[in-house]
Amino acid sequence: MMPGKVLRGGVAQPLAIALFSVALAGIATLVGLERQPRQYRIDPPVAAALDDLRLMPTGIGGAPPEVYFALDKPYETSAYDLSQGKRLYSWFGCANCHGDGRGGAGPSLLDGWWLYGPSTVAIAASIRNGRPHGMPAFRSKMTTDQIWQLAGYVRTMGAYSASLAAPSRNDDKHTRPAENRAPAAILFNEEPAPSPSERGPPS
Amino acid sequence: MIEDRKRPPLTDDGLDDSVLERHLSQTWSASPGFWGALATVDHKVIARRYIVTAFVFLILGGLLAVAMRIQLAWPEARFLDPDRYNQIFTTHGSTMMFLFAVPVMEAMAIYLVPLMVGTRNIAFPRLNAFSYWIILIGGLLLWISFALDAAPDVGWFAYVPLSGPEYGPGKRADIWAQMITFTELSALAVAVEIVVTVFKQRAPGMSLDRIPLLVWSMLVMAFIVIMAMPAIMFASSTLILDRLVETQFYNPAEGGDALLWQHVFWFFGHPEVYIIFLPAAGMVSTIVATFSRRPIFGYLPLVMAFIATGILAFGLWVHHMFVVGLPRLGESFFTASSMAIAVPAGIQIFCWLATLWLGRPVFTTPLLFVIGFIVTFVIGGLTGVMVASVPFDAQVHDTYFVVAHFHYVLVGGAVFPLLGAIYYWFPKMTGRMMSETLGRWAFGLIFLGFNLTFFPMHILGLQGMPRRVYTYQPELPWAGLNLFISLSALVLVSGFVIFFIDALRSWRSGKPAGPDPWSAGTLEWATASPPPAYNFRRIPVVEAREPLWSRSEGLAVTKGLQVDRRELIVSSVVEALPEARESSPRDSIWPFWAAIATSLMLIGSIFTPWAVVWGSIPIAVTLIGWFWPKGTVEDTS
Ligand code: HEM
Ligand SMILES: [Cu+2]
Repeated sequence: MMPGKVLRGGVAQPLAIALFSVALAGIATLVGLERQPRQYRIDPPVAAALDDLRLMPTGIGGAPPEVYFALDKPYETSAYDLSQGKRLYSWFGCANCHGDGRGGAGPSLLDGWWLYGPSTVAIAASIRNGRPHGMPAFRSKMTTDQIWQLAGYVRTMGAYSASLAAPSRNDDKHTRPAENRAPAAILFNEEPAPSPSERGPPS
Repeated sequence: MIEDRKRPPLTDDGLDDSVLERHLSQTWSASPGFWGALATVDHKVIARRYIVTAFVFLILGGLLAVAMRIQLAWPEARFLDPDRYNQIFTTHGSTMMFLFAVPVMEAMAIYLVPLMVGTRNIAFPRLNAFSYWIILIGGLLLWISFALDAAPDVGWFAYVPLSGPEYGPGKRADIWAQMITFTELSALAVAVEIVVTVFKQRAPGMSLDRIPLLVWSMLVMAFIVIMAMPAIMFASSTLILDRLVETQFYNPAEGGDALLWQHVFWFFGHPEVYIIFLPAAGMVSTIVATFSRRPIFGYLPLVMAFIATGILAFGLWVHHMFVVGLPRLGESFFTASSMAIAVPAGIQIFCWLATLWLGRPVFTTPLLFVIGFIVTFVIGGLTGVMVASVPFDAQVHDTYFVVAHFHYVLVGGAVFPLLGAIYYWFPKMTGRMMSETLGRWAFGLIFLGFNLTFFPMHILGLQGMPRRVYTYQPELPWAGLNLFISLSALVLVSGFVIFFIDALRSWRSGKPAGPDPWSAGTLEWATASPPPAYNFRRIPVVEAREPLWSRSEGLAVTKGLQVDRRELIVSSVVEALPEARESSPRDSIWPFWAAIATSLMLIGSIFTPWAVVWGSIPIAVTLIGWFWPKGTVEDTS
């Protein structure tokens, strides 16, 4: 056995493995830097821009502000924002009227039927501005950031296929499948829930 | 194949040394090239990979520690944001515990145990290869997620409900849980190999009372792994089930129990400390004996202390949970048992001191690290006895006092002996000596830097600074000490830098070592450095505890092993009487593919439960490849 030979083989193998690993981690860092970091406080100008919902005259649907796309729709894709939305849902008492999402005094949010359309901006508008027949406006109670987080969450709850970022169950009583299992797909109703006729947009 | 069987097997009977060596290296060497390297099952090659990988993780974890120390150097620093800080302390802790400390100790066992018991390869060598790929991929999983800004942020013990479905959004905690699964899988594999190697493959004559202390410590460590790892396997799997498929193990509202997490975690977590410490104790025993130039004082008490530590290790876990509000009697019991473990630890310390006292110690670098270990570990042990008492612990729990305590036992109790062991066995592993001068510098800087960094943390803790905070206010009286600690950490880091420079330099151009540079007594020094693929030309016969010291004219050896296939001796558990000749598995690429398939399944399961179903198909395929009968005679005789 030539000592030189043993040695070279000896160093080369672990080094190759190490280099390979470092390269992988390096690529990942580059990808990672592209990602939206978890933000605890949003920049005030961005928040102001996010508040600029462009709604149709009926107030039903509309387009999100430009900055929403520039941010790459964070409120629909970031697990952190979605789970914050989930907490806001209980903190601000949404469950008092909408229950675990299946409705109560207010309409169900996961039967697949949206009175004002399924877009996140419509949901954000409902939360911010309120709706006729009892939905209060939360404009003065929550920040814009929070309104969007909550809207993003409500959309996940009613989505038919679960996104990877969707939150999981709470440490509570188990009343329906958690958002990461697409409850709306399981609980979809062929007919809109029998709702008091005075609900929905004014005709 | 059929022809082969007819030809009488070629044994080492009467072959002369050079012919024998040629045959053996043909039979045992890995085939050259890339695929040969992936397929090798040589315990030495795999152990070397393991060690280098573990040290790379030590460096990465160390860089994170530096980042934390920069952030904490002055009040309200803006170097890291809170979210990053959370990821960093979690990744630092998890890397150090699961990807550095445990694997590096196992790696030393993989390298040393077969050599020290005088056999040609570890038991289940393919499983060994598999275990390496698994831990490598598990480590990559954690670090790639860190680079992606998606690393776990729930602390290295990931308490629920913080890590549970409600408070741990995203995939971060899932990545932590699956990283744990990878490391426990590989640790269990290695533990089984060690137990079987020690019990069944010892050289003839190495009865239980002649087993080197390092091997004893590795054996006890392996048993602890086998008994502790299932607990963490349960914990990580149930956590991920709770998070991904809505089971309710840790949900009190549905009859689950959040405290259950702490019990199962620490039922593993406390013994883990001994998984790290016992191998270190074995290293210390070896180094002390060699450099005191005499057999170890108190072999039997030391073995008993190892075993007692291994058993007691399972009766202490609740001391991590003193402040959650447990029944008084429980707290008293675990206080008592935590203090009791100081008894076997004390026995070990006294045996080592006695050996030094009675011998003629030569203060080389390995021995210096051992002395550093004794000092540091005793301090860590003393603060351990302090936090074992409930009223004291209630004061300092989750403060920097605890951070200081566990770094004293982990760095003092494991890293110091490990660095000593690297200086000691480096010549065996590479055939070259490390530098004595640089070694002394490395030791001095690390010892000084370590104490200057971590001792003041005790005081910070008593002053109330909590652990896991990303910053503190200028009004609090902590700024001065924190700056001092951060500066001292630079001394510590410079010591490590010198160590790594020394290791790399010596690996390429160190002084050639020869087979036995320290005139040591155990069997690994009876073969060339680095050892050939087959370890020993002829399997030695052991007649004493330090076989190389008791005989001057060379070891007695066995004969009759076949050389045209991989063959080793199976011996009896107690007296190591030779029982059979057993074939040892050949190289195979399948463990590598099996590890890839397993990893795909485990990582995929973070994203969809269906990965478990579909992922089991490639695993089955690779396992079939792995165990496919080759039609060669595998019988024993
Ligand atoms: C290189 C020298 C090291 C330095 C300067 C260092 C420093 C630190 C610091 C600053 C923290 C975080 C404290 C906090 O924010 O609460 C920490 C945590 C920790 N360190 Fe180290 N460390 C070092 C080496 C090690 C080693 C070698 C190990 C284990 C073998 C280790 C294991 C841990 C663990 C388990 C934690 C707790 C993580 C958690 O809170 O989840 N460290 N270390
Ligand atoms: Cu403990």
